[in-house]
Amino acid sequence: MAAPTLSPTSERRRALKERVTHHLDVVLLGAVLAVAGLSLLLIYSATRSRLEARGVNPLYFVMRQGVFIAIGLGVMVAVMLIDYRKYRDRGAAFYVVLVVMLLAVLSPLGSSSKGTQGWFQLPGGFQIQPSEIAKILLIIALAGYLAQHRGDLDTKRLAVTCALAGVPLALVMLQPDLGTAIVMTVIVVAMIAVAGVRGRHLAIIALVALVGVVGVVQAGVLKQYQVDRLTSFLDQSKNKSGSTYNLDQSKTAIGNGGVVGQGLFKGSQTSGSFVPEQHTDFIFTVVGEELGFFGGATMLALFAIIVWRTWRTAQLSSDFSGTLICTGIMAMIAVHVFENVGMTMGIMPITGIPLVFVSYGGSATIAGFAAIGLVLNVHLHRFS
Amino acid sequence: MSSDNARVRLSIVGVIIVALFSALFVRLWFLQVASGGSYAAAAQSNRIREIQTEAPRGRILDRNGKVLVDNQVERVVTMDRKLTTAQRVVSAQKIAPLIGLTADQVLQKISDPRASQYKPVPIATGVTMETVQYIKEHQEELPGVDAVSIPVRHYANGTTASHLLGYSGEIGDAEYAKLKTAGYQLGDTVGRGGIEQSFEKDLRGKPGVERVEIDAGGKVARTVSYDEPIQGGDVKLTLDLDIQKAAEDSLKQGLKVAGGTRDSADKSKWSQFKAPGGAVVVLDAKNGSVVAMASYPDFDPAQFVNGIPTELWKQLNDPGNHFPLTNRAIQGQYAPGSTFKMVTAIAGAESGVITPGATIYDSGKIDIADRTFSNAGGEANGSVNLARAMTVSSDVYFYRIGAELWKAGNRGVGNGEVIQDVARRLGFGSLSGIALPGETKGRIPDQAWKRAVHKERPDAFPYEQWLPGDNVNLSVGQGDTLVTPLQMGEAYVAFTNGGSLYTPRVASQVTATDGSGARDIGASLRSKIEVTPDVRDAMAAGFAGVVSSSTGTAAQAFQGFPLSKVSVAGKTGTAQVAGKQDTSWFVAYEPAENPQYVVLAVLEESGFGAAAAAPVVRRVIEAINGIAATDVSYSAPVGKSD
Repeated sequence: MAAPTLSPTSERRRALKERVTHHLDVVLLGAVLAVAGLSLLLIYSATRSRLEARGVNPLYFVMRQGVFIAIGLGVMVAVMLIDYRKYRDRGAAFYVVLVVMLLAVLSPLGSSSKGTQGWFQLPGGFQIQPSEIAKILLIIALAGYLAQHRGDLDTKRLAVTCALAGVPLALVMLQPDLGTAIVMTVIVVAMIAVAGVRGRHLAIIALVALVGVVGVVQAGVLKQYQVDRLTSFLDQSKNKSGSTYNLDQSKTAIGNGGVVGQGLFKGSQTSGSFVPEQHTDFIFTVVGEELGFFGGATMLALFAIIVWRTWRTAQLSSDFSGTLICTGIMAMIAVHVFENVGMTMGIMPITGIPLVFVSYGGSATIAGFAAIGLVLNVHLHRFS
Repeated sequence: MSSDNARVRLSIVGVIIVALFSALFVRLWFLQVASGGSYAAAAQSNRIREIQTEAPRGRILDRNGKVLVDNQVERVVTMDRKLTTAQRVVSAQKIAPLIGLTADQVLQKISDPRASQYKPVPIATGVTMETVQYIKEHQEELPGVDAVSIPVRHYANGTTASHLLGYSGEIGDAEYAKLKTAGYQLGDTVGRGGIEQSFEKDLRGKPGVERVEIDAGGKVARTVSYDEPIQGGDVKLTLDLDIQKAAEDSLKQGLKVAGGTRDSADKSKWSQFKAPGGAVVVLDAKNGSVVAMASYPDFDPAQFVNGIPTELWKQLNDPGNHFPLTNRAIQGQYAPGSTFKMVTAIAGAESGVITPGATIYDSGKIDIADRTFSNAGGEANGSVNLARAMTVSSDVYFYRIGAELWKAGNRGVGNGEVIQDVARRLGFGSLSGIALPGETKGRIPDQAWKRAVHKERPDAFPYEQWLPGDNVNLSVGQGDTLVTPLQMGEAYVAFTNGGSLYTPRVASQVTATDGSGARDIGASLRSKIEVTPDVRDAMAAGFAGVVSSSTGTAAQAFQGFPLSKVSVAGKTGTAQVAGKQDTSWFVAYEPAENPQYVVLAVLEESGFGAAAAAPVVRRVIEAINGIAATDVSYSAPVGKSD
């Protein structure tokens, strides 16, 4: 394989152009753009009446999300065009950035919201949520390390992997951001499983992860309302205004959609702002109510396509680090979708993680596009 | 490990993800398709709220269509609940001095949790037109404050017929608990007492319902539908406003003059009659409908309209004020005295103890079972038949009937309770069924009653047997006999119309204002009692003599009354009450030969029936017949007591 960095600039450009025109995964890109486009309509529906009532421009959130998507697309292209093996080779540097970032957010530099210390405040009312970026950086770093020891993942190396993953995981737990911690855990388990971990070890890791989650819930790291929210799906008959209120309203909205939905912008639960956090974590309820089963199933199908294309790219990758990167991203997207959509329908606990490409939010959207950039990157280089 | 191994592992991860996505699809299907609309219903109830607006209550009219109760528009200042706390304070401070409240009081009213969340809260009623204009002109300085006009209850004739009409007021917590299911809301008006209560369903009307869509914050987004309120139906009474006024005036006068008269029965010291209260009832002699019903002391229903002040409520319930809220015509229970002789006469004739023509000698007293029973005044009436016994109110004549009937019962002829049976058939001892709340039953004592009270209070009632003396006391309406004025009036209605006892009617028609027509309320017959013509004629002659004969007990009271123009018959009654002054009764019917009205008066602690009650009845009869009114005076009885 020719190392593109050694080629003259013009030749390199030509090769890249050929690669992009011939080997770009348009199915994946199309699915992502379809989901992101739909998200603008859904965010508009979820926020318009609330903003109008306050006399604010009803397009406020939509316009901001549009900006995030634009930035995300830029980041995606940038990430895609630089050969992912360069990232792989700088895994250690990424890892350091990741840890520093997570440490910084816990320091007075970071700010907290709703009991979680997890944001950097930027001018213009923008915020950065480092734990969203941390997931991507962790995938790259782990893929680099694990690919070096392909087929030779003994106890010692597994321990190193777990230690590498454990540090950011612990930092995220300190915020505390349980949702991201769960996503990270699933990413790590999926990556080491594909990397060739022994069955016995995998079982132990799964057990430790389980004990860890229960321990966190029990140990008082979380605020009581977070625990209530988390466990309310186990007993959905509890009090209406308390911890199950969110879930009741969410299920009511989705159920109200029926087969074909109430029509875009016509959902009564949505326009009446009955579902809290509807434009962020509970965005799926807008699809459910206004576009019905057809709309909800279509959205899930689009996500299934994104996951399938990522899985296919993992299979096709010319090197093992590409396979592992795609595995991590596939696990990340799958768990986001399953946990987020699952919680709106009452089959998963309520943890505050967004539905990638759909929920309003800059960090998650941009990180999502960066992840897709990585997958497209691996796909472009599958023959080189 | 080989590359194939990684492919296999990747496939396993893929299978797991497929399983997770499948779970999502299934759950989505379950919620949206398989749940069959239950979530849609939940969403519906989430967002739709009903705001009720009370309908104006129906009017209450007299039998000639004169308005007794209607509604008047009142100016009310309201404040919107949707204001922020800061806005509330600003508006409250500005509006408070205009309506004579403090800002704190205004804030308290607006945050009253019992007021509807979706309607402006009334903070002052009955404000001046100037205040309304000020508010309308200074809208921008008074955010959320508005002035509106709402209908409030208006009692057109003040205290007139207050007991019969009742009053209305804001629903109380206890009432609300009962009426919630009937569609009432806190703050609604509900009828209390009288017609206002018993015809509540007709008078209330149909509240207007505005169905609004609200959001999660409880803010009204839009109106879905609005049904206008429908005013309640008009209730047309059998009452005649003019006769009612005359009845009340006469009663008041009668009590006033009685109260200024010496009680000659009290020999030990000089004392005046207390005359604390009484009742007048005027009934249609053909069917028992209520033409007038007066009770004194009375009250002003208007005082209840915007909530009665605590001080006033205390006064109305203070025993020292003799219970102004009590409708004595249906709730007062009095010993009937000699007015009850009508019952005893029918019982005696029915059982053959007396015949109309047969005379007995009234020596002024009679010995029965080792006891001597005297005429109330002790005088001898000489030879008396049924008619004369009525006219002069010979107690001896009726004592004898009581004694004979007891003896017959003791011999096993009949059940010994003939007087009680006749009394019950004439409606005594049971509710008349009049459409007014709070009616009492009275009491006709008998063997069963005696046994029960003996068991309960053996010291006061040492014997459990029904003794001859009990029957003798009953025969002249004494002892433990208790009747309401209305019961007595209805019994005389039955006597005058040939034996038909009616359920007393107060309303003849209810008119729906929504155009669905009118509902007539007919007179309803309770029972029939047969009185043979000879007995009836003799009794009627006796009753006529009471007024027209020079020896009649009420002759004095009707001196100067044009009997040739309007013939009057009646019966006086003076009932002794343990520990109290005598109850004064007079029940009359006119014209005597073809009775149209039965008129009755009862005056508590006022002495002789002839002296206190008869002049009251006379004045009412004068009013009915357009005869110049004679001021009520305390008329001296003709030589004797009753």
